[in-house]
Amino acid sequence: MNLSKYPQTLDRLAANYALGTLRGGARRRFESISRENATVRAAALVWQGRLSGMTELQSPILPAPAVWTRIQNMLQAERDAVAMQLARQSAQTKNGRSTSWQSSIWQGLWIWRGAAAAGALATVLAVVTGFGLRDQLDIRGKQVDELSAQLKVAPKIEYVAVLVDAKSAETMLVTFDSKSQNLVLQRVGDYQEASDKSLQLWALPSAGSPRSLGVLGGDKVLRLATAEGDVKQVPTLAISLEPKGGVPSAGGPTGPVLFKGALIQKVI
Amino acid sequence: MTLMDMTLNNDTDLMNLLDRMADSDESALKALYDATSPKLFGLALRVVNKREWAEDVLQEAFMYIWRSAADYRASLSPPMAWMGLIVRSRALDFLRRRASERLHVTQELDDYLSDTIEGDAPNPMNTALASEQAWALQQCMNQLDNKQREVVSLAYLRDLSHSDLAEQLKLPLGTVKTWIRRGLEQLRGCMARFA
Repeated sequence: MNLSKYPQTLDRLAANYALGTLRGGARRRFESISRENATVRAAALVWQGRLSGMTELQSPILPAPAVWTRIQNMLQAERDAVAMQLARQSAQTKNGRSTSWQSSIWQGLWIWRGAAAAGALATVLAVVTGFGLRDQLDIRGKQVDELSAQLKVAPKIEYVAVLVDAKSAETMLVTFDSKSQNLVLQRVGDYQEASDKSLQLWALPSAGSPRSLGVLGGDKVLRLATAEGDVKQVPTLAISLEPKGGVPSAGGPTGPVLFKGALIQKVI
Repeated sequence: MTLMDMTLNNDTDLMNLLDRMADSDESALKALYDATSPKLFGLALRVVNKREWAEDVLQEAFMYIWRSAADYRASLSPPMAWMGLIVRSRALDFLRRRASERLHVTQELDDYLSDTIEGDAPNPMNTALASEQAWALQQCMNQLDNKQREVVSLAYLRDLSHSDLAEQLKLPLGTVKTWIRRGLEQLRGCMARFA
């Protein structure tokens, strides 16, 4: 039987099909005819459209406020996941382009940073679990703001050097943060100068005499305000042992050079 | 302003919100939720018949709407119809998952139905936020007698066969079939005038 020649029957079947009360073999037959016959298919679509209005005709009932809170939490979780993903991707890109010894340092840095972020998250969670639902959200919002603020001021490392001693043991990690214009020196070996001496950091340009970048205190980490021009195109950094307080730059190093290493511009 | 104009304005507002959501604007999601969640919760509750479940369904549906807002335009549907179908299909999925876990569902559906069927309550169709297409359906559904309207709308919303309905309503299968047949006949005659 060609259904499209019997409009009444077609309309009845289509209505039952869309309502869902056409079942079993009859439903399968109707579907297979629809696939071949555009008139039949159209009748089914018309009734599906008409009856879909049923979903719009139910009486409104106010849901509990907790539903919106749960939706907000899910959105937050999605944003966190995306941010985490981006951070991971950018870490991988950076690692992928570095040479092998550098990459191990960068992995190290990212692990530190990851650990810091994880610590911050743990704090958020610890704080959140200790408060009521409303407070949780407030605090969570604030913590998220703080975290994003931290991310904004996160250093943009553009240069890195590992200074080694005569036996090629790492003694100092040097990074240049172009955002804060800081050269950061971090002692990684256990060398400790005598109390009447100071370590002085020098830029060794490819032409010309060494230029002092600053004198190190006894701290594990030292930040030196440095213009990017001072480190740009400097192939090597060196540290000499000088009298307490260091020597004027003009004269160049007076003591022995203890540590030395190539300054590498990090390609992002 | 006529009722039809109001519908069109509603649709335009909701579509604008969906467009903004497609651009990840969360404030648009909040506005959409405020405007439509009571209506969609009413629908979810009608399908799953339990507040707690309906809330789960509503939450799932809004996350789905948030993620698929960019696909809305391609559906060529009025916004409430699109969202209504999403809520219904989430609700039916929810019931299927429940049914495969345990078989309490049928039992719980009965409580709600006994009120509407045996009590012969009018339960008129509600047109708040309804699209133009739903207005026509509402006109026609309200011409059915209460029992016919109830079986027809439950058959659709809960995707129930004649025998499912008979079982849940504790009515003879023949009675259900007759109500559906007559209800649908009348609906066909009425809807043809709107086509």
